[in-house]
Order: sequence, then structure tokens, then C-alpha cells
Amino acid sequence: MTADLGVTDAFAGAGTVFRRELATVLRTPGYGVLGVGLLAVLWLLVAVGGGGATGFVPAVVDLLLPAELLVPLLAVVLGYRALLADAVSGEFAVIRTHSVGVAGYVVGVLLARLVALVAVVGLPFAVIGGYVWVTAAPDTGIFATHAGVDSPLLYVRFLALITLFGAAFLALSMWVSAAATSRRGAAAVAVLAFLAGTLGGDLALIQSLMAGADPSAVAGRAALTPNGAFRGLVFETVIGVSFAQEGNVVDVGRAVGSLAGWTLFGSLASVGTLAFRERVSTVIERSRFRFAE
Amino acid sequence: MTERSSTEGTPDAGSAVDGAKPDRVVVDDLTRTYGGVPVLDSVSLAFGPGLTVVIGPNGSGKSTLLGALAGTVPPITGEIRRPNVEDGSGKSIGYLPQRVPFREGFTARETLAFYARLVDGDPDAALASVGLSDAADRPVEDLSGGMQRLLGIAQAMLGDPPLVVLDEPASGLDPGMRERAFRTAAAHATDDVTVVVSTHNLDLVDAHADRVVMLARGRVAAAGDLDALRDEYGVDTTTALYEAAGRDATLSGTDDDADPARSGAAAEDKRNGPGDDGDRDVHVTGVSER
Repeated sequence: MTADLGVTDAFAGAGTVFRRELATVLRTPGYGVLGVGLLAVLWLLVAVGGGGATGFVPAVVDLLLPAELLVPLLAVVLGYRALLADAVSGEFAVIRTHSVGVAGYVVGVLLARLVALVAVVGLPFAVIGGYVWVTAAPDTGIFATHAGVDSPLLYVRFLALITLFGAAFLALSMWVSAAATSRRGAAAVAVLAFLAGTLGGDLALIQSLMAGADPSAVAGRAALTPNGAFRGLVFETVIGVSFAQEGNVVDVGRAVGSLAGWTLFGSLASVGTLAFRERVSTVIERSRFRFAE
Repeated sequence: MTERSSTEGTPDAGSAVDGAKPDRVVVDDLTRTYGGVPVLDSVSLAFGPGLTVVIGPNGSGKSTLLGALAGTVPPITGEIRRPNVEDGSGKSIGYLPQRVPFREGFTARETLAFYARLVDGDPDAALASVGLSDAADRPVEDLSGGMQRLLGIAQAMLGDPPLVVLDEPASGLDPGMRERAFRTAAAHATDDVTVVVSTHNLDLVDAHADRVVMLARGRVAAAGDLDALRDEYGVDTTTALYEAAGRDATLSGTDDDADPARSGAAAEDKRNGPGDDGDRDVHVTGVSER
């Protein structure tokens, strides 16, 4: 078996797994439907907010709250069964006999799902950006180099933050898929993870303020959760820039590190869970056997 | 193949595993439990090149033994030593689990192409080797059960691993397909390749096996060269050998063996399913009907 592979070999086969996973995503019509549905929702939200003529930053303001719910939701949909399917069918065991390392397998699946995330989530947001570009007032076409001016570059930043935000939830939902033993269980845990991720951080922050926490520490603490980090970054680097305000919504460095950290944590946890789950159950079984002797 | 076990009445019991040749797969004092219930109990065997068929009633530990050989079932105690691939980078084990696991939405060629890329193999040659060239462009889910199993055999043999483990490759197949599956496995079992197959179709064992391992209640009831075992038990067919060795295993069993739940039969059935429909063809009083 390949359990004793070295670090280099641990990533063997990642490219091949990536191609297969991407083909699987491309052949799943449901993901296309999700992308089209998201585009329709975003278009409606922008239309209700005054249409594309209002400019990029007003569009971002209109889309921020929905993005905080829809991006995690679609990322979880893309990830919660990503690693479970092969484990349940038994194909993961077969793949492992072909000298594919666990890390390589997870990286291959994660990267393919990340491409899917960009297509299903990022593309609709990008299309809305194009709609704003086409319909907005003339001065929104300026590539701003200073604060106080609406600009397409601010919307590009927003798109980048959406991708980073979605990647964090994707990696975490893949951890759910690595730990689950059934589709139903994975769905249940994924719903919990979604609720905890989208609401848990804010509720915890409110709770800490009610308990007497120092309000000046909010900017640092808000950055710790994916939603707080994303919201803070959008305020600091997109909306705040346009309005030329000295923002102190979130610590930018910490927020970027938080989103990257959640992504890395979800990825490593997925690898660890797949690699050691069988070993842990074997250790438990071994202890039980020795105790019974 | 040699066998070394504490099981009484087992042929070749004196053969030393430690002295096995380097191209042999050695199972040394292997025990595997599920929920504390032993499914394999102190099993010691050595598998050499050629076709070895593992037989035994449902829940006797066949799938667990094959899973352990393939590296998917870690031992609770004991160890398994396998021959290394010469350059250390190739595929060392080919494995087909009891349930064919391939992802739907891909054709037979695409499925094998995925595995072939991992071992630098040729998917079309692999399809041809199991007679599936004409079905290459059909989605996996549209293949019959037999064709899916043949596809699984082709996958296991990609990359020419020195050890190929096929868990019930003839399960659920019509007689023609069973024969084809076994003929393919036997053709692959050369002087350098060890092929281990489990089955309930004992007529196929007569036709193709070089050696046989019979498991009963997680222990080795009989193991060795098929002709030598038939001579030893004074029988002409594997079916008769199955009955005779099963009877011996029953006579030497303990009280625990009489309870399927305690002997591991229930645990293995729960894990692997009830096995193929050939089960209905095998009724050994005192072994399979308890």
C-alpha cells in the first residue's frame, strides 16, 4: 500500500485526480443551474438597488450581504460530497493502490472544485461587474489611483475577495466530506457548518461585547471568522476606498491571513482525516482486542 | 503457497513463513477484528506466483483477508509482507473490491484512462485484454454487471503489479462471464505475478486454480496446492474438498464458532455484503448453514 510514501510522492497523481474531478464537475448539470440561478439573483438584487447605472461600489454594497450567505452556501454545495463519493463507493481504496498519495488526492480534488467555484460563483459576479461597466455612468470607467473614485478595479478586488472567501468555505466543507461516512450525514454536518460559519462568528462577537469585551478589539476579533474577515476586507479595501474614509472595520493583514488560514486548515484537516481515519479506528479496535484478551 | 497456522488439521502446517522466497506475499499471524469480534484469527499464509483461490462460507473472512493483502484493511495483530516493485515507483498491488466502485458518467475507456495515466499504462490494451474493446465508449453505468467486473479486472492489472487481488470477480455473472473473468485472471498469473481471487464458484476453482486457501470462521481450514489437497482429503473435486475441509473445521471448532455473531460472520457480512449468488450453490452441513 502507499501509506509509507515520502513527502514528494505524497502529491503523486494530483494532476490526474484534478483532471478527473474537473471532468466530473463539468458533467454535473446541476452546477451550471446553480451558476445561472446565482446570476439571476444577483441581477435582481442590483436591479432593486438602482440598477447598474449606480456604479461599482453601490453594486458591491447591494451584493455584500447576499454574498455573505450565497458564496458560503454554494461553496458548501460544491464541497460537502467531494471526498465522500470515492470513499463511500470504495474507489478511494482502489485509487490508493495506484501510488496516489492522500495529499495529492485531496489537492487534486480541491483545485478542481476551486475552478468550479470560480466558474459557478465568481463568473456570475463577474458578469454583474460587466453589466455595471456597460450601464454605469461614464466616470465609473476610471481606473482609480486614489481614494474617493468609483472604479472597476474596486470590483475586481471584490471578485478576488469573493474567491478567497469561497475557498475558505470550500476547504472547510471538504473536511466535512472527508469526515462523513454517508451522504445524509455529510449533508447534515454541512448545514451545521454553514450556519456556524455564517452566523456563529457574529453571534460570538456580539456575545463578547455584551459580556463587556473591549470594543476596540472588535477589528481584530472580527477578522478571525471567514465572514467577519470577508466583510471587513470588503469595507476596508473596496467600499472604504471609494468613500475616502479611514476605516477601522478590520485588521486587513489579519483578515487576509484568516481567510488563507481557514483554507489551509480545511485542506490539511481533509488530508489528515483521510489519512488517519482508518488508522485511528484500527488503534481503537486494537485496544479493544487487547482489552478483551 | 504455504500455510502456517494454529488451526488444527491444516495441511502444510509445518511450512516456515519466515523462510519464504522474496517474491512471495507473506501473511504472518494476522488477526483482524470488527467491534471486538475476530473476523480473521491468527492466520499465517504465504502466497507465491500463480493463481490462488480463496474459498469459504459467507463471513469466513475472505474479503477481509483480500482487503488485508491489498492494504485496505490494516491488521490488528500480525503483519503482511509484500514483494517490492523493482524501481520502487510502480504499482505494487492491483485490487478489485467486492463491489465495483467506478464513478458514473465516464465511459469504460475514460475510466481506465484515469488509472492508466497513474501507472503509464495503455487503456485500450487493457480493455482489449478483458474483451471490452467494443464497449469502450459506453458509460460505466450502462455496462452489465459482468462487464463492470471485467473492467475492474482490467483496472487491477494495469501497470503489471506483482500482486493482483480480486474479490469475487465472478460474483453475479452468468456462466460464460464467470469463465471469462477467471480465464483472464489465470492468464495474468505468470511466474512473476501472484493473483489471489476469492469465489464461491467451486467449478471454476477446479478449472483454473493452482492453489487453494479455504477459510472457515476466520481461520485457515485448508491451504496448499489444489491437487495435493485433493489427494490428501481423498476427493476428486473442489466441491468435495470444500465439504471435507469444512467438516474438519467444524469438528475442531469451539463453542464460539457455533455463533455467527461471535465468530465474525455477521461482522464481515455487514462490512462486505452477503457475497455473490453462488452462495446458494454451496451448502456444507455444519459450516454454511449455521
